[in-house]
Amino acid sequence: MSYSDKVIDHYNNPRNVGSMDKSSADVGTGLVGAPECGDVMKLQIKVNRETNVIEEARFKTFGCGSAIASSSLATEWVKGKTVEEALTIKNMDIVKELSLPPVKIHCSVLAEDAIRAAIGDWKKKQESAKPVASAVAQ
Amino acid sequence: MTNSSLTTITAKPVPEETQSCWSCGTMRAVHFCQACGKVQPPSPVDYFTFFGLPRKLNLDLAALEKDFYELSRKLHPDLNARAGSREQEWSLQQSSLLNDAHRTLKDPIKRTQYLLQLEGVELEEQSKTATEQARSTGQIKKQIVPPDLLEEVFELNMQLEELRMHKKMGEDDPALIEEIGRQKLALDGKQESLLRELEYDWKMWDGMIQREHNGQPVSEEERKQERDKMVDLLNRRNYIRNLVRDVDEALEN
Repeated sequence: MSYSDKVIDHYNNPRNVGSMDKSSADVGTGLVGAPECGDVMKLQIKVNRETNVIEEARFKTFGCGSAIASSSLATEWVKGKTVEEALTIKNMDIVKELSLPPVKIHCSVLAEDAIRAAIGDWKKKQESAKPVASAVAQ
Repeated sequence: MTNSSLTTITAKPVPEETQSCWSCGTMRAVHFCQACGKVQPPSPVDYFTFFGLPRKLNLDLAALEKDFYELSRKLHPDLNARAGSREQEWSLQQSSLLNDAHRTLKDPIKRTQYLLQLEGVELEEQSKTATEQARSTGQIKKQIVPPDLLEEVFELNMQLEELRMHKKMGEDDPALIEEIGRQKLALDGKQESLLRELEYDWKMWDGMIQREHNGQPVSEEERKQERDKMVDLLNRRNYIRNLVRDVDEALEN
């Protein structure tokens, strides 16, 4: 099996590799895995509290070239989108963009999972932050 | 060749789909006629049935090997070289089926995966299915392996990457190597205990199949529960297996 040019590009020059402060209230972290192959992917987003726009995204993936490319592309795509817009990204969009073969579809699934998990983590932080904020205000 | 000494084949009732021997007309086993010894056309049976075994997971491996070698001899295409071309073709197909069945059943993990597949579990599809579910309900997808295992996998991978980087730069980091070595021991232990856990699951599964065989009804719920336990275990094992492989690689290079 050969990788598409886009996969190779993301693999050789991954965008947005790294991490952000997990404990920050504006940062959502998603850590997901694909049991089929044993890959793990961590994706983090930094969200603007006023606009709900994802301003920063970082990832770190241990897995095959397709998994790395899928998560690299996912960080590119979520940046500049609102949280709700980012939730509309589907794994098949990633499959199409990277021309992933059927055996690598689970890599794109992993990337979608990571986006959802990161957003879910951020939302949870916002909800639990509310009562604390009002307590401080008093 | 009127009598077969095959331990399992002869002990089992002949499967329903078995018809009479194309050559001599008497009843045949799935592979060759027990009366006249002629190779039979392959019938579409699963690997357990091919060896005349029930769908149980605790296998008598010695008996399986014995049956395998005896069938290999009887079905070997060279042996049937002088037979009609039809028989030779069957012999070839049966031999290849025999090899696949043997390779799958003798390995504990492959055997378990195969049984789950026969039971309708799509191991390759579970993540996708869960994602589709999460998408349609707007919920966060339930991860198929426990979060703390994912965390552990991620952290160890970070350390391995650091080690590779040090090695690339020609630097020595004995403390890191020692730490990774410790983790490796822990992983080996984990792999061992997963295998023991799997053996326990086999016991439960086999007991259920036996009860069913004895005429006691087994609910679909119980079947699913036993299946799910094994699926969960195989999923966790995939991560551990990859980690052991990666740690070995990183320490060796």
